Amino acid sequence: MAGNTTEEVEGSTSTETKTNTAAEIPPEFLIKHPLQNTWSLWFYDNDRNKTWEENLIELTSFDTVEDFWRLYHHIKLPSELRQGHDYAVFKQGIRPMWEDDANKMGGRWLISLEKKQRTSDLDRFWLDVVLLLIGENFEHPEEICGAVVNVRAKIDKIGVWTADTSKQHANLEIGRKLKEQLGIHGKIGFQVHRDTMVKHSSATKNLYTV
Amino acid sequence: MSASPIARQATHSQAIPSRRVLITDPAQMPDVYSSTPGGTLYSTTPGGTRIVYERSFMMSLRQSPISQTPPKCPLPAGLMKNPASGPHLQTSPAQKTRSNSISFDESQETFSMDL
Repeated sequence: MAGNTTEEVEGSTSTETKTNTAAEIPPEFLIKHPLQNTWSLWFYDNDRNKTWEENLIELTSFDTVEDFWRLYHHIKLPSELRQGHDYAVFKQGIRPMWEDDANKMGGRWLISLEKKQRTSDLDRFWLDVVLLLIGENFEHPEEICGAVVNVRAKIDKIGVWTADTSKQHANLEIGRKLKEQLGIHGKIGFQVHRDTMVKHSSATKNLYTV
Repeated sequence: MSASPIARQATHSQAIPSRRVLITDPAQMPDVYSSTPGGTLYSTTPGGTRIVYERSFMMSLRQSPISQTPPKCPLPAGLMKNPASGPHLQTSPAQKTRSNSISFDESQETFSMDL
């Protein structure tokens, strides 16, 4: 009978699956994979009753690939955040602000996203940027400080922060890699934090462009 | 698929390869500190050994059971994904109701208390 056959098939499938999972858990799934650096996840809250610095909160840190995914699976994606909010992922000990010793001589590669890209590109770009960082995929990893995603009314932004604007070769390599890995066709620019401090970011001149 | 160096290290124990080199005269010692008699035993990349992962490898670890477990650290409720949309979360109906009923203002209060 049709009903019986279905039951039998289901029964045998589930037994098979059980045996498979018990015997064939890949070795990669049994361990945590350590990262080169410990990274901190920051959140910017945009509460008007608080100062900028009070709004900036270090949520947690992670130092394995699996611990990154645990966080990623359970927190909102950038596109799900409210406008005005930021995420930042920085090497532990570096605060995501221009004033930090590690950032004060630095700048950022800036990826600007139009509003329509919030659904198509924002989350994908952010994940790929974070994976490039924590996987140490740049040739000059010592120049990397962290990355920020700003969710804003008009233009969402992803910035990759580097330590020293004078290191042209290293910064250009980082910019090129970023553009290539994200599949960006247009130009992206590198801005000096000290310039961004005094001007609105859209009016800041690019030190490098790739 | 063969295991990554890190998984191999963690899952199998291996003997450390060794070789004896007999030194009879100080002149046989290497002249740089970073070398050992008979050749350098260890290898590094320029600037020191670095743990590098490619995107595709990290993406494959996304499916690991460890990667699905909730983070241990307390996180603001307003930042947590709605459990109903997270296929990996095993939530009881009670938990679901609770998180769905959280309004954003409530979560902000939770947030302030974390400070």
